[in-house]
Amino acid sequence: MATLEEKIEETRRLGLQVVKETEEDRLMTLSIGPQHPGSGHFRFTVKVDGDYIVYCDPDPGYVHRGEEKMCEYRNVIQNIPHLERPVIHDSTNVTYSYSLAVEDLMGIQVPRRGQFIRAIASEMNRQVYTLYWLAIYGIFLGHSTMFMWPAGDRELFIDLLERLTGARVTHAYNIPGGVRNDMPEGFKQRCLDHINYFEKRLKEYEDIFYNMPLFRQRTEGVAVLSKEDAVKLGVTGSVLRASGVPYDIRKVEPYDVYNEIDFKVQYMKTGDSFARSYVPFLDMKESCHIMRQLLDKMPQSGEVRTKLQPNPKGPAGEAYRRVESGRGALGYHIVSDGTPKPYRVKISVGSFRNMLALPFLLVGNKLADMPAVYWSLNYWPVEADR
Amino acid sequence: MSTASGFIKAIESGSKHLVIRRFTFRYPEQKLRFVGDGYQFDPKKGVGIAGYRGRHILMHDKCTGCQLCAIACEGIAEAIGMVKVDENWKQNKKSIMPQIDYGKCVFCGLCVDACPFYALFMTNDYELSSFTKEHLIYTPQQLEVKPKYDGSIELIITDRGATHG
Ligand code: SF4
Ligand code: SF4
Repeated sequence: MATLEEKIEETRRLGLQVVKETEEDRLMTLSIGPQHPGSGHFRFTVKVDGDYIVYCDPDPGYVHRGEEKMCEYRNVIQNIPHLERPVIHDSTNVTYSYSLAVEDLMGIQVPRRGQFIRAIASEMNRQVYTLYWLAIYGIFLGHSTMFMWPAGDRELFIDLLERLTGARVTHAYNIPGGVRNDMPEGFKQRCLDHINYFEKRLKEYEDIFYNMPLFRQRTEGVAVLSKEDAVKLGVTGSVLRASGVPYDIRKVEPYDVYNEIDFKVQYMKTGDSFARSYVPFLDMKESCHIMRQLLDKMPQSGEVRTKLQPNPKGPAGEAYRRVESGRGALGYHIVSDGTPKPYRVKISVGSFRNMLALPFLLVGNKLADMPAVYWSLNYWPVEADR
Repeated sequence: MSTASGFIKAIESGSKHLVIRRFTFRYPEQKLRFVGDGYQFDPKKGVGIAGYRGRHILMHDKCTGCQLCAIACEGIAEAIGMVKVDENWKQNKKSIMPQIDYGKCVFCGLCVDACPFYALFMTNDYELSSFTKEHLIYTPQQLEVKPKYDGSIELIITDRGATHG
């Protein structure tokens, strides 16, 4: 075995330069994504020092579709199918906030029964989204039962939405002026049956997943986001509520009939990965409670939709409306110049804001904790890119 | 909760599912049942009738060739083209009717909302796959045919869990 001095001597003899290892050389750069290895169509580069992440650089934009620009070439009705594409699992909430903004702009009144029906549809769609997200969260922490169960139980609400709207995923159900069709017969009873069953299932989720010591060890105390930081970073939805800020658009800016509904904003104080994954679960429970009230208070008959002209147009002006989607505040800002096509549409999505917390949270954690932190952000790459 | 009891509870709640009825069903042999005959629209009341949004059905005796469905789809998927047909209807002087390209259609049903003459509805048929792109284009003659769809499976909730039966 040659000693170090001999090796250096040999290198010099060959005419090569001798370089000393620097601090930089210890770091390794890893590229995660964008080919969907558990990140969605999204890439971020991390630098690791041994096991620990010391630098993280998110690089979104791989699924940018130009939704905002596309809105400028279509009238307000034709915009609906393409707007719900970025986040098909939550499509009713997307069209909900879009419809609210258009209604504000054109001064359309929605019949009371229509308001209730679309609130029910949006609650159901939020359940569908949250269950889908929970399934992914489970599988990325290596819990394949938690992938199968929510993915199966989604069917309970997809079945209801299919009966109500006619499509399983992309509903195109909300329309400026109300909803496109009334409830089919026997829908209310079916809803109640499914909600009762689903609440029983939620208890089982707690047993097999949230109270499971392995899951707790992987998430508790990981990547803590303090209340102050959460507010400063501008995160929204369950990520914000997990850090101890009880902020829910349904409460702070009630739209349609939500001011008549009695519900609590679910939040936790710890701000770690566990809290971020548990708050959506609490939301699902509360959502069952909200749906029951909505079904109870809904007028038994009546109009569901205000009729619009075939090519509706309103006065020039602008409107901004938000709803609480599965991923937090989802807002549409529409500027109109008085023609049937919007002059400018700006979409403000929760996913993008939550993604900005990623570099902040990942640095200092182990690489193995990356899925637990990444998915706890309740982030949907396609929606963030729009 | 202690670690041991956490594990025991988790295993217990998982093993219960050994005796619970299966949730899935065998798709091509068994099919889902839908309410009604598909999505329809009542232009007089201006509101739709709930139903599944599958392939369209075109009533040749009602269609006037007004192209409103094609105009509605223009900004959505451009799936509808108006074609000449060898039929003589007195309400359809130009003898043109919609032809739908299912390679483009997104099944939003907004063309049904646009038709003012009760001529275009949707059906329960969703099995439209084909080996070539050309076969996805449905001519007015193909759209006239009522689909044979017989789904009988429904999601039911029993004491032993939710199942399809
Ligand atoms: S359902 Fe939608 S996409 Fe399909 S033809 Fe009708 S308007 Fe076009
Ligand atoms: S289907 Fe309806 S909208 Fe389309 S051309 Fe015929 S009558 Fe007009």
